[in-house]
Amino acid sequence: MAAVAQTGTTSVVRKRRRKVDWVAYGYLSPALVTICVLSIVPIFYTIYISFTNFNQMHFTSYQFVGLQNYKELLNPHDPLSNLFIPTLVWTIIYALCATGFSYLVGLALAVLLNNKHMREATVYRTLLIIPWAVPTLITMLAWQGLLNDQYGQINGLLHGVFGLPRIPWLTNATWARVAIIIANVWAGFPYMMTVCLGALQSIPTDQYEAAEIDGATWTQVFRYVTMPSVWRISLPLLIPSFSFNFNNFNATYLLTGGGPPNSNNPFLGQTDILASAAYKMTLSFNRYDLGSAIAVLLFILVAFISWLQMRYTGAFQEVDS
Amino acid sequence: MAVTHHSFPQSGAAPRHRKRNLQPGQWLRLWISRVIIWFVIIVVLIPMWFVFTASFDPSNSYISVSFFPAHATFANYRALFQGGQFLVWVRNSLLVGLTVAIAQSFITALSAFAFSKLRFYGRKYGLMMLLLLQMFPNILSIAAFYSALAKLNMIDYLGSYILVMLGASAFNVWLLKGFMDSIPKELDEAALIDGANTWQRFIRVQLPLCLPMLVVIFFLTIVGAFGEYLFAGTILQSPSNYTLGVGMYNLISGQFAKNWGEFAAAALLSAIPLAAVFALAQKYLTTGLVAGSVKG
Repeated sequence: MAAVAQTGTTSVVRKRRRKVDWVAYGYLSPALVTICVLSIVPIFYTIYISFTNFNQMHFTSYQFVGLQNYKELLNPHDPLSNLFIPTLVWTIIYALCATGFSYLVGLALAVLLNNKHMREATVYRTLLIIPWAVPTLITMLAWQGLLNDQYGQINGLLHGVFGLPRIPWLTNATWARVAIIIANVWAGFPYMMTVCLGALQSIPTDQYEAAEIDGATWTQVFRYVTMPSVWRISLPLLIPSFSFNFNNFNATYLLTGGGPPNSNNPFLGQTDILASAAYKMTLSFNRYDLGSAIAVLLFILVAFISWLQMRYTGAFQEVDS
Repeated sequence: MAVTHHSFPQSGAAPRHRKRNLQPGQWLRLWISRVIIWFVIIVVLIPMWFVFTASFDPSNSYISVSFFPAHATFANYRALFQGGQFLVWVRNSLLVGLTVAIAQSFITALSAFAFSKLRFYGRKYGLMMLLLLQMFPNILSIAAFYSALAKLNMIDYLGSYILVMLGASAFNVWLLKGFMDSIPKELDEAALIDGANTWQRFIRVQLPLCLPMLVVIFFLTIVGAFGEYLFAGTILQSPSNYTLGVGMYNLISGQFAKNWGEFAAAALLSAIPLAAVFALAQKYLTTGLVAGSVKG
């Protein structure tokens, strides 16, 4: 058996060495050219800007300043350092909570829906997918209106119907962070639910039958049959969604605009994550130099997360067919 | 490629084993599950219901909360169309979305074909490298984009915006490549034996077979373009160039109480078709995602 497999692979390798389709690069060129021009060149330009003092004051005549911008951001005695470190901490908390809670809610719902006696499950599934189906742009702007502490309907419901005190959703730092996580989980759980449901349905029924014959309880079946399969399929998607959330300031920016303002930091609000910090530095304050330096630091972090992902899950690994 | 795209049942519950008489334990579990799911559905959909009712409420006031608007009218919808603004936004978004989606499908199909069926140096790790590269979204290079566009006097043109959005998506290539990998090899080999050249193998054999996935990518790209704000808000500045994203953002931010009803109407009008397209496309997409991850 092993010998057969061995000769099989070597013959494939030999065949491939003999023939390279040079025309392949022609087919790849549109993708490679656009990726070069729109991803790689801007990244290198960003790295270049981060070593200069390119900002509104020096728009036409900027100089090379070495590591100055990084020193300002990372040196704990510099006033700008209270911009980078607290933002980094919040970015990590936000990405962990948004991904983790979405996954838990999605998994729990998938387990409940994966009940062969629940014949109307498709209806439930369709209703639960709606938050994912509507573009984030629309839902997050709608959340911004709904969470307005004076006029918003969420407070209207909690205060008017349930008699709870009005919650300062978008004006208090802690509540704004809670609101962002709630809105992100609301928008993110249907994806996780769909993936987990796919995973649950791919478990062969004979595994369940075998467990039943062995007299396993429901919790044992869940622990030893269901979870390993779900975990195997969903983990490769869990880490990319963590790094997606890490950079996903679309939702945050549309919901709070980074606010409420931060008293000891003139540039960034309480809910700004690193990605929105880079965006705001560039567009609101014309500090292209600092914005680029933040982006480069973020790039290093994302590269590290991606490396971890590759190292431990082998997701996206190429399998020769 | 052990798992094909057709091996996942689409519905939540497979009605294969219909058992009329449940044991008490199963019956209890079923009903507890149902009650929890009903509760979650209500919590999840309440915000959307609020937006729905707001769009029909002419008073624009939100101090009182009613589950059904007392005097429902189409005033907000009329206001939205009267200025003609909304149609301009939709037109601009359609222009951007269609252009980008056509280009994206073309680029994706060509590269997926190369990665799936051709042999070349870099095939093994090339796609993975591109996927890792795109973990870093383009928007983070905003300083580079903005200063380059400003220096070239390209701010506030729809064309510049389309250009920025044109980049190939490695994720789409990966998705389509996974789909092409599942097309039986024999078809390609038969074409080769018949003396087909590479272009004929691509156009005649592979392209028709992976058309469903390509259509999914096409529509998802359009939906994505409709929902993009960050680049659009940076590049497009005059109201005649606003896309749906920029227009809706400007309706609500800063002047909440004034335009909430109009915003809700615009949200509803754009969300329903986009959500319908997405829901249809998503079915195929999810099976593709799961199949891809099983393979790895």
